[in-house]
Amino acid sequence: MSSATGSAAGSTSEIATTVNGAAYRGSVANRTTLAAYLRDELGLKGTKVSCELQVCGVCSVLVDGRPVSSCTYLAADIDGRTVETVEGLATGERMHELQRAFVRNFALQCGFCTPGFLMMSKALLERNPDPTEDEIREYLDGNICRCTGYQPIIAAVLEAAAELRGVGVD
Amino acid sequence: MLPEFTLSRPADIDEVLRELNADVVPYAGGTELLLAMKMGLLVPSGLVDLKRIPALREISASESAIVIGAGATHDEVARHELIQAHAPLLVQVEQNVGNARVRSQGTIGGNLCFAEPRSDLLALLAAFDATVLLRSVRGDRTLAMAEFVLGPYWTDRAEDELLVSVAIPRPCPTGAYVKLQVTERPTVGVAAVRTAAGRCRVVVGSVTEVPLVVAGASWDDIDADGIVAQVEPVSDIAGSAEYKKHITGVYVRRAVALARDGAV
Ligand SMILES: Cc1cc2nc3c(=O)[nH]c(=O)nc-3n(C[C@H](O)[C@H](O)[C@H](O)COP(=O)(O)OP(=O)(O)OC[C@H]3O[C@@H](n4cnc5c(N)ncnc54)[C@H](O)[C@@H]3O)c2cc1C
Repeated sequence: MSSATGSAAGSTSEIATTVNGAAYRGSVANRTTLAAYLRDELGLKGTKVSCELQVCGVCSVLVDGRPVSSCTYLAADIDGRTVETVEGLATGERMHELQRAFVRNFALQCGFCTPGFLMMSKALLERNPDPTEDEIREYLDGNICRCTGYQPIIAAVLEAAAELRGVGVD
Repeated sequence: MLPEFTLSRPADIDEVLRELNADVVPYAGGTELLLAMKMGLLVPSGLVDLKRIPALREISASESAIVIGAGATHDEVARHELIQAHAPLLVQVEQNVGNARVRSQGTIGGNLCFAEPRSDLLALLAAFDATVLLRSVRGDRTLAMAEFVLGPYWTDRAEDELLVSVAIPRPCPTGAYVKLQVTERPTVGVAAVRTAAGRCRVVVGSVTEVPLVVAGASWDDIDADGIVAQVEPVSDIAGSAEYKKHITGVYVRRAVALARDGAV
């Protein structure tokens, strides 16, 4: 038979996971998406859901550092893995460099797409700490913003990247 | 909302093979399968997760071929040093599949087995003369791409078979791949490569039900107008049939022009 951890004859799976540094253990319905788990089970409503087709990007979170569309990802699959959401970006009262750069650059208006943009930007900077403007555009082209026209978002990511590399602005 | 289903997470390929049947299906990145289940197009009673099987994600090279595990994600393929060294055109194509999340979730095997006609990999791997390795408790089968992909969302894979890997014969052809992509999926994608034997091969994908392969001794033998006459696109949100025929000609000429100049 299958490995003890995930094998479920029924329609639920046991998971042990870490979300934003906190450990969780329990049982989830197999059909629960990661977005639903984060929002409804853990009360982490920063992660949004919109198109449910992996196109808009508002549900982006990181699993073991890699970006996924949590609307089309099973909560059961985070067993043994580490999840990061927008709520985990700040350290106490201190916002993450990306968050502060978004604020400084007016890289948000209504804010609905912002958690997704922040998490995708974090994934980008972790693999490429010094991206060019083109590389930022390329990496974020799966996220939709209907307010800003994108320019301030690109500027914010460039600025946060510089700051994180220690050649910062403010 | 997803329907109910059972989920198993086997640790090796043999366990997967014992579980597969018409109702219990392989589950990799889920970028296609979970969408189809949400829409009620597929209603399997069980999913067999392939993501926790390291052997399915391996990428290796022998004297004669580059072998890519079916469970390797687009991003893993694009970033692998063997692929970067031996198949730069594949790197370029993988870097431009969907968006960064689809590339980190979606696998090469899932792309081929779903056989959505609007796939970059169906066309490119046909241009590369790649073969697929299918395995079941009954044994192994190796098929050429044209034998594997039979039509839209239709492959020769039996319900109890697992796609284990894709093999690209070495040396891997060089050339160009260009696509027009205005929605999430490519509207037309064209590969133009020079094979190890010196032949010029053009494969037109996405705009056709299955990739269309045309070859000649030189680039001058590739007749763009003749190719346009052979494709029968359907009108949809990405454009009218007439428009798609027109851009097919444009993209065939572009791909050939790039390949002639020796791009990757
Ligand atoms: C927004 C979006 C944009 C996209 N853009 C592109 C694009 O530009 N170009 C492109 O080519 N593709 C594109 N795709 C498709 C993408 O490449 C595929 O979704 C992905 O690679 C499928 O792999 P998966 O691991 O997610 O498959 P899954 O969804 O897990 O599985 C798909 C199907 O294959 C079967 N299966 C999976 N693995 C195996 C196996 N090893 N053996 C047997 N059967 C198996 C499953 O049972 C299922 O029927 C896009 C998809 C989305 C959602």
